Parts: sequence; structure tokens; C-alpha cells
Amino acid sequence: MTPDNLQTEVRTATEDLGTELRLDNRLNAYIIKAKLQAFVFRCLFFSLVIGLGFAILYPIIKMLPVVFNDLEDLGNPDVIWVPMEFSVLSFKAAIRLVYGNGLPILQTVGYALFISVIQILVSSIAGYSLGRVEFWGRNVVMFLVILTFVVPPQSLLISQYLSFKHFDPLGLVSLVNGRPVDLINEPFTLFMLALFGFGVKQSMFVFLFRQFFKGQAKELEEAAYIDGCGFYRTFVKIGLPNALPAIMTVGILAFVWNYGDTYYTGYFNPDGPYLSNRLAMTFSSANVNNILYAVRTWYNVPGATTFAFDAVKQAAAIIYLLPLLIVYFIAQKRIVENFEQSGIVG
Amino acid sequence: MEKAAVSSRSRKLSYKNMRKIHGIIFVLPWVIGFLVFFITPLMNTIMYSFHKVGVADSGGMALEYVGLDNYISLFKEKVSSTSVQFLRIFTDENITIFINTPVIVVFSLFCAILVNAKYKGQGIARVVFFLPIVLGLKVVTDLTMVTTGGDITDAAVSNSLDNEGLLEFLVSYTFLPTRVSIFVYDLANNIFSLISQTGVQTLIFLAGLQSINKSLYEVARIEGANSYEVFWKITLPLLSNVTLFALVYTFVDMFLKSSISSEIYYFAFNRNDIGTGSALSVVYLVNVLIDLLVLMFIMNKVVKLTYDAR
Repeated sequence: MTPDNLQTEVRTATEDLGTELRLDNRLNAYIIKAKLQAFVFRCLFFSLVIGLGFAILYPIIKMLPVVFNDLEDLGNPDVIWVPMEFSVLSFKAAIRLVYGNGLPILQTVGYALFISVIQILVSSIAGYSLGRVEFWGRNVVMFLVILTFVVPPQSLLISQYLSFKHFDPLGLVSLVNGRPVDLINEPFTLFMLALFGFGVKQSMFVFLFRQFFKGQAKELEEAAYIDGCGFYRTFVKIGLPNALPAIMTVGILAFVWNYGDTYYTGYFNPDGPYLSNRLAMTFSSANVNNILYAVRTWYNVPGATTFAFDAVKQAAAIIYLLPLLIVYFIAQKRIVENFEQSGIVG
Repeated sequence: MEKAAVSSRSRKLSYKNMRKIHGIIFVLPWVIGFLVFFITPLMNTIMYSFHKVGVADSGGMALEYVGLDNYISLFKEKVSSTSVQFLRIFTDENITIFINTPVIVVFSLFCAILVNAKYKGQGIARVVFFLPIVLGLKVVTDLTMVTTGGDITDAAVSNSLDNEGLLEFLVSYTFLPTRVSIFVYDLANNIFSLISQTGVQTLIFLAGLQSINKSLYEVARIEGANSYEVFWKITLPLLSNVTLFALVYTFVDMFLKSSISSEIYYFAFNRNDIGTGSALSVVYLVNVLIDLLVLMFIMNKVVKLTYDAR
């Protein structure tokens, strides 16, 4: 109902009372005040939202004019936000330097997906058991999960590295193989870590699943028991399908963090095809002159300065971000919708 | 009759026990991982830190007990790969982390409240406000950061925003003490790097906000509370657990991204000084744990205070 309508209605209703004029004035003042308040509030609110949104997007916005600029125009203080000559040379250079025929990006996405699936499986069964079953020592295990979440993996780096270099837990490997195996630089190491619950931030995933399963209603599962489902079947048929919100949340976080991981891939499989590592190595500050030389000779731009290095680097960053953004945009709606049930608050 | 009752009871007991056993089987991978990939390395690291580690003739490792020498030399003689003393590095890290953590958490709470409100374009706002999950990755921040030659866009923007003007304005036109103004000015300068670390915390807070019972707000409104009072008396106390989680997460995340981890690797494998590297790891670990205890202590006090005030 618009204020005008309201006024006319109020006017007709109060005509008989003879107090029309006074009430009308007061109502008018009230409406104007409320409208003004709402207007000011909305302005403040939206300026906050837009301002913060800008601050979040600023690093990307800042990159766009740089990467589309002509390589020789970079560093020219007259050309900042609008390129004088549109060019995609920096993208071409980035593709030639890192991405090649697109195989590395596929390999990395595949690796991240595979590890995420392992992480979801292992964390969900551990979380289910911690949240649902009252086995002996459950609280101790829960405490240990929180402890492993708090301890940074870097502090264990040296002895983890050495133990993978001569991998021999409890003498089992040398019993079978004759001598310890060297697991550094094998992708298998990373999969094994995830399989036993110590991949990227996996303690947090276990914790999330535990909170989620703890907060779920038990009735469905009890009904399944009565109908003759065993423990494992109940988990597969009832537990997992109901845990979709938690799986979505953990899945997207696991994908993003595994795709962007430099710690595990960098130390335990440094020669692997992981993009995050390759990018960090290719665009390290020791490589500036090599890359500049390559760009100058490949594309015949002798005037390329160190700004061109940044342009190529940022073009590479944009290509690197693409799969992440695609996954994020596909999944974000469901995450945000389901997040209230996804277990953090439990 | 009696026999049947006994057998059914024993079956019930065994069902319960079976369930426990199944539960243990489900946790077993994690527990094995804990033993092999967590406790063993932890023990080894602590052991190495008290030893001089070399290569034995037979090809294994030769350990020579040196007591606290590794720790003493770490702080007295050794310097990092960038030639900074470690005492300096640890103090700097701790100060930045203790200053930035509350700022990031308050900031993400603020973002979560903005995202939780209902308005047109809320969906787009959510997309943007959760982007730091992706943009805050260390690789991405490293790649988007400008390494050489100065940042011409930043220069243009800061000219038009006039950062110095903000400091001048705060000092001369507000009643804030100069120190606070400088603090605010520093935060404003670092705003982009601070925001890039908020994504997950915003998600945590949003979940917390949505789990608050709506009828509480209605009651407060009927009793005549305004938005300000509702925030301090309902939203914040009910978010205290979530806030603790967000604080701990931020803490751990900041430590993960700190420069010390690469120093550990540098010592152990570039300089072949596993003993000192392990000592550094242990100091780092103890540092994190002490900081968390301090955080818990402070949070405990704060939560108690708010309960008393009610």
C-alpha cells in the first residue's frame, strides 16, 4: 500500500470525527520521518555492501587493465585503467610458459577432485562414527581431532619428510619389500595422507562431519535398523544421502584447498604436475629476467619492462583461477542455502 | 520362556557392542593416520631437536645427544634465510597475528551480518562476500601481488583516495588519540590483504547467525529493544561458541601462512641442519599452543563478563 492510499483511507475514516486536519498533519510528518529514516538506512547499508564488495574484488579489478594492455604500454603513467591498444599477448605468453596444451590444468583439476573425494569419504565415516556411535574412548578421539586441527603441519614437516624418505611404519614395509621405500616425489604419498585423514585441513572436515551427524535426527536410522539394515547399509542408504549439505560444504572447501595447495604438493611431490607449484616456481623472483627475455624474443616486443613480467604473471593467475571460479559459481548457491544445516553450529 | 528372554537380552547387548565395534572400524583409518602421520613425527621432531643429526656410515641417521644446544644456537647464532634473527621473526609474527586476528574476525562477523540481511541483490552479495575463500589462497595472493617495478594502479588509486588525508583527518578532526588514529590508518592501508582472509570465517558466522532462533528477535522487539540492543544482548552472546571457532580458525590459518614454515624446510634440507630445524619446529609449535591458551583465557573472561552483565 502506498503512502498516498494510506492517507486517503485514513482521511475518509476520520472525516466524521472532525479531526481531519490535525491527524492528517501528524500522519504526514510521521510518514515522512519513517521514509527518510528508511532511505538513509538503505543508502548507508548499500554503500557498505558495495564498498566492501569492491574491496574484495579490487585485486581482480586491478588486474584486468594490466593483462589486456599492450606489453610495451605497461608502466606508462598515462595508461592506467583503459588500455590504448587491446592485446592478449600476456595470456598467450602465460599459456606458452605454464599451461602448454592444457594438460597441466586437467591433471591438477583431476588430482584435486580425486583427493577431495578421498577426503570426503574418510572424514565422513570418521565423523559419522564420532557423532553417532558411543564407542569406548570417543571423547579422547574427539580431543585428538581438535588437537591435530590446532597443530600446524609445518611443525611436523622434517620428520614427516624423513619418514617418507625411508618409509617403514612398524617395520612392515621392510618385512615385505626387504628395505624401506622412498615415497618422496610419488603422488601416492599425497593420496595416502588423505586416506588416513591427514590431507589438507582434514581434521576440520572430520570435525564438521561430526557436528553435522550429531545434530541430525536419529529416527530415520532407527527405523532402518528395525527394518533390518545393518550398520554399513544404514550409513550408505540413510546417513550419506542426508548429509548432502555437509558433503557440499566440505567438498567445495576440499577442492579449493587441494587445488591451491602448495605445502603438501610442494614438499612431498615437488616434480608433480600441480599448477600451484609450477606457477610459484615459474614466477619466482629469480626468474624475472628469463621470462622477460622469452617474452621479448617470442612476441618481438623489445620494449617490454618488468611491468610485462607482472602482466604475464597476472594473466597466468586469471587462467589459474578459472576452474576454481567455475566450481565456485556452480556450487555456491547450494552451499549458502544449505549452510545452516551443514554442521558448523551443531 | 525364560530362556528366550535371556537370549534376547544377550543379543541386545551384543548388538550394542557390535555397533561400538563398527564405530571403531569407521574411526580406525583416522586413528592409524594419527599414530603414523602425527604422533610418530611429533615424537621424532622433539627427539631430533635434542640431537645433532648426521648421516651414519651404514646409510641411516646418526644421532648425537647435544641437550639444549640446538635451541640456544637457534636464538643466539642462527639467522633466517633472509638474515633476520629468529627472536625478531617470532615477535613480529606474534604481534601481527594478535593484532590482525580480532580485526579479521570482527570484519567477517560484519560481512556475515550484511549478507544475512534480506534485500534485493542478496544473492550477488553472497557470491562476492564468499569469494575470499578462493582469492585468499596463498598461491593466488602471491600471483596477484606485484613484485617488481611498483604498482602503477595502486599509485593511481591511492592518489585519488589520498591515504595521508585519512590520517590527517583522524588526528585533527576526531577525538581519537594519535596512536589509535595511526592504528586505524594502518588497518585502512592493509584492508585488501585483511579482507582476503575472511571467506571461511564469514561462512562460519553466517551459519551461526542462521541458527539463532527467530522468535528471540521477535520477543526482543516486542519488549522494545532497538537494533543496537538486539545485537549486543541476543546476537553476540548466542554467537560466542561460533566466535571461538572463528578465532581459532583464523589463528591457525595465520600461522599456516607465516614465513616460518619455509624457514624450517630451509634449515633442514638446504643447510642440512636437521637438529636446528627441528628445534625451530618445536618452538613454533609451542608458540602456537601458548597463543591459543592465551586466546582461550581471554575468550573465557570475555564470555564470563557478558554473562555477568546480563
